[in-house]
Amino acid sequence: MLRRTFLMLTTSLAMACAAGQANAACSPDYTGVTLTVASQTGPYIASALKLGADEWAKKTCGKVNVVEFPWSELYPKIATSLTASDATFDLVSFAPAWLPDFVPYLSEMPKEMQSGKDWDDIEPAYRERLMVWEGKIYSQSMDGDVHTYTYRTDLFSDPKEKDAFKAKYGYDLAPPKTWKQYLDIAEFFQRPDKGLWGTAEAFRRGGQQFWFFFSHAAAYTNNPNYPGAMFFDPETMDAQINNPGWVKGLEEYIKASKLGPPNALNFSFGEVNAAVAGGQVAESIGWGDTGVIAADPKQSKISGKVGSAMLPGSDEIWNAKTKKWDKFPSVLPGPFMAFGGWQIAVPKAGKNQKAAWDFVKTLTSPEVSGQAAITGGSGVNPYRKSHTANLQLWSKIFSPEEAKEYLGAQSDSINAKNVALDMRLPGYFSYTEVVEIELGKALAGQTTPQAALDAMAKEWNRLTDEFGRAKQLAAYRAAMGLPPKN
Amino acid sequence: MMRNDPIKHVFIWPAVLVVLAISIFPLIYSLTTSFLSYRLIPPIPPRVVWLGNYATLLQEPRFWSALFTTTLIAFIAVGLQYAIGFGVALALNARVPGERLFRVALLLPMLLAPVAVALVARMMFNPTMGPLNQFLSKFGLVNLPFLTNGHWALACIIAVEVWQWTPFVILMMLAGLQTLPEDVYEAAELENASAWQQFWGITFPMMLPISAAVVFIRLIESYKIMDTVFVMTGGGPGVDTETLTLFAYQEGFKKFNLGYTSALSFLFLIAITIIGVTYLALLRPHLEKRR
Repeated sequence: MLRRTFLMLTTSLAMACAAGQANAACSPDYTGVTLTVASQTGPYIASALKLGADEWAKKTCGKVNVVEFPWSELYPKIATSLTASDATFDLVSFAPAWLPDFVPYLSEMPKEMQSGKDWDDIEPAYRERLMVWEGKIYSQSMDGDVHTYTYRTDLFSDPKEKDAFKAKYGYDLAPPKTWKQYLDIAEFFQRPDKGLWGTAEAFRRGGQQFWFFFSHAAAYTNNPNYPGAMFFDPETMDAQINNPGWVKGLEEYIKASKLGPPNALNFSFGEVNAAVAGGQVAESIGWGDTGVIAADPKQSKISGKVGSAMLPGSDEIWNAKTKKWDKFPSVLPGPFMAFGGWQIAVPKAGKNQKAAWDFVKTLTSPEVSGQAAITGGSGVNPYRKSHTANLQLWSKIFSPEEAKEYLGAQSDSINAKNVALDMRLPGYFSYTEVVEIELGKALAGQTTPQAALDAMAKEWNRLTDEFGRAKQLAAYRAAMGLPPKN
Repeated sequence: MMRNDPIKHVFIWPAVLVVLAISIFPLIYSLTTSFLSYRLIPPIPPRVVWLGNYATLLQEPRFWSALFTTTLIAFIAVGLQYAIGFGVALALNARVPGERLFRVALLLPMLLAPVAVALVARMMFNPTMGPLNQFLSKFGLVNLPFLTNGHWALACIIAVEVWQWTPFVILMMLAGLQTLPEDVYEAAELENASAWQQFWGITFPMMLPISAAVVFIRLIESYKIMDTVFVMTGGGPGVDTETLTLFAYQEGFKKFNLGYTSALSFLFLIAITIIGVTYLALLRPHLEKRR
């Protein structure tokens, strides 16, 4: 009897120890919890979510199921689920521009996540601006997005090219300071007979096209003398998209479309990256992915020859208040936070909100996100100070010179005083749809730039009236970081 | 059971309720929504605008452009499908060698999912990597802007529609041809009627009822084209290839403009009804002659 009791006690003790060890491995313990995340089709972002999911599973014993949708389907899928208040998704990953539409259906970030070392490590442009809506935080950046300039250092440092360029244009061949120089460089390297073209940008409807156009226009419309007036007049909410600054931006965007590979009009950002990594173009603009992919010897023919810089700018910027061009003593760089980086949020209707926010914490931790940022094709670009400060991290993919330029361009753009924020407004898709349609017509030569922009402005004003001008004005001012209007 | 036996209600009403629930009520709900200004995003409380959405749509150039594009695709594609389909069906009916193989091979496109077909077509017509332009380049010809020019893009969509749905016409016409009586042809041959005379005098008139049905079905289906356009061009460049269904999708599932989209659906229904009724009215004298 005594022997049997001893045996039972020993067995119970052993089992208790084993269970204790298992629980210790899961901290916090989310065994049996499966989170469903809505994402765009991989590899971009979906692979980063899977990387985060693996780490979270190791830490908490929970599971994450990443459900992928094509980019064009993501908004309707998330919006349908949120407005129906169903619990299909525990987390949703989306563009910051959609945040105003989704806010009524999202839970607020737990207060304890809004402080500490990891919190302060997030670049202020994201932490204090893009993640904030009407003073509250509903989402967490999981990617940093700003358009930068990429070029081939082998071409730019070639003495023959440098001499020929200077002889033709009268100034040194170097990363452009203005969009005029950008187009000069594109024109100079336009050599179809040698399989080399000037530049690559996205021009295809539904192919992230309008952000490239916005990048051109930002240099002429984001005036520090009248902040927040790039898209709308922040006093009246009148559309600004047809002012002379935007016209200049569109004219140059159309010129760029003629200095790219054949049928560049069909390029989305994926094709831009392929053209750059394939060594087909001398320069390009786009998100940070371009530099990372171009530097990767497995994906690129120009690995080791990748230079980066901030977007070109202008010394003349349209003032929407005075309706005149403001002249500046020197060229102001025109960085544009195109798209603004993927964000992740937890719907109010979610059944595992605590676990979901814990997953966000792991996913966006400096370690996990840092690893994603240096993985080509993850779609994650630097959004933390530690991402750009840690040169060692980037030495895996870049040469020291490449890393210095790439990280410098990213950091300088995000932290530039005159960085232009992307439009965030309720009814975002209604506003951008008309931009895509009219851009398509202007690029195809079916309409003039001014007529295309006039059509956009007319529709933007109509939409603003339909959605409620006062409500939209308040939202726009909040998105642009301006105080509420009395 | 007597005619006035109340038990009849037990059998009739469940069926009536099912029909109401699955077809009539959604239609009524949709019709009611079409009289509202109703957006899910940004959330705007529903407001009665009566015929406001219809009036806006009728003044919207994009609606007319989508209607024109859809009509163009439907009429050209169905015309070609009918001409090619009838021709191939006649050839197969003539018991050519290897007829069975042809029959199976020609039916394959119809069995594929339109999305898959559109994806393959998108690659085929890819301006830089597509085999068509690569083939043209080998002969020193310029790359054609298949999907980046409005006219070319429309032609590509029509080509894909014809490729995929001609087999349906072949199948139906072949079935019709096989039911034609042999003795009529034997009599025509005794009268020394040429093959052309036999076709116009016997085959075509006798095939008219089934032709009318096939063209009607394809026409209605073609008006509903969505997946092929969505995958191949997304409605672009600009709105050059945007069809009515794609326009409705953009309004309903991108902009969540529910009232407007419902009105659009009803205008679509009216347009299809007008086309269908006109088509049948035009054919009626010819069909009645056949009775």
